[in-house]
Amino acid sequence: MLIITRRPGERIMLGDDITIHVMEIVGNSARVGIEAPKSLPVYREEIWAAVKEENQASARVEADRIANPASDAGARV
Amino acid sequence: MPITIDTTRFGELEIETEAVIEFPTGLIGLGGSRYALLANDETSAIVWLQSLEDPSLALPVTNPGRFFTDYYVELSDAEATRIGITDPDLADVYVTVRATEMLEDCTANLRAPILISRGRGHQVINESEFAPMRAPLFPGTREKATAA
Repeated sequence: MLIITRRPGERIMLGDDITIHVMEIVGNSARVGIEAPKSLPVYREEIWAAVKEENQASARVEADRIANPASDAGARV
Repeated sequence: MPITIDTTRFGELEIETEAVIEFPTGLIGLGGSRYALLANDETSAIVWLQSLEDPSLALPVTNPGRFFTDYYVELSDAEATRIGITDPDLADVYVTVRATEMLEDCTANLRAPILISRGRGHQVINESEFAPMRAPLFPGTREKATAA
């Protein structure tokens, strides 16, 4: 992992399009601003990890546990 | 030209081009860019979001309105701008289902719904107050053990 020390008001560039602003540090919290292309989703890591875990758990289920769409010959929306 | 895919769960399926849903950023943590919804029939409570790239990847999903009448999706401005959907009511909303042996333990992820509009799908973070990541689908079924 790359580790960079920054002071409040300083920034980090990820490539040409993504800017991370270190805005202020209060106590043990850092306020960070992110400027990124609007098509890029930005998540708090713990939410991203929890949703990933739910998606993976959902995808582990076998078809017979719920309903098998193929049993009715054919897919449809 | 329909797409033919030999899925792990459902065998060989033919998917009409119109039924292909493009996911510009995939599902959170799972990726993938093209999926399709598979259903037994129009009334199926649970449908499957099948990846068209990974035959083994499919997630059971449901329309949350069937189970949670007060459910609504609230997007942050950044998220609405990103996906180009300012009013979630205008999109089809699905939530992923975590199915278990026990019906009463089945849950839906109300925090990260999937919005589908005009052939494009987006899994988003729901900012509304009632958005648990594991909402029981069948609360109260514990008393009716034969319901399954």
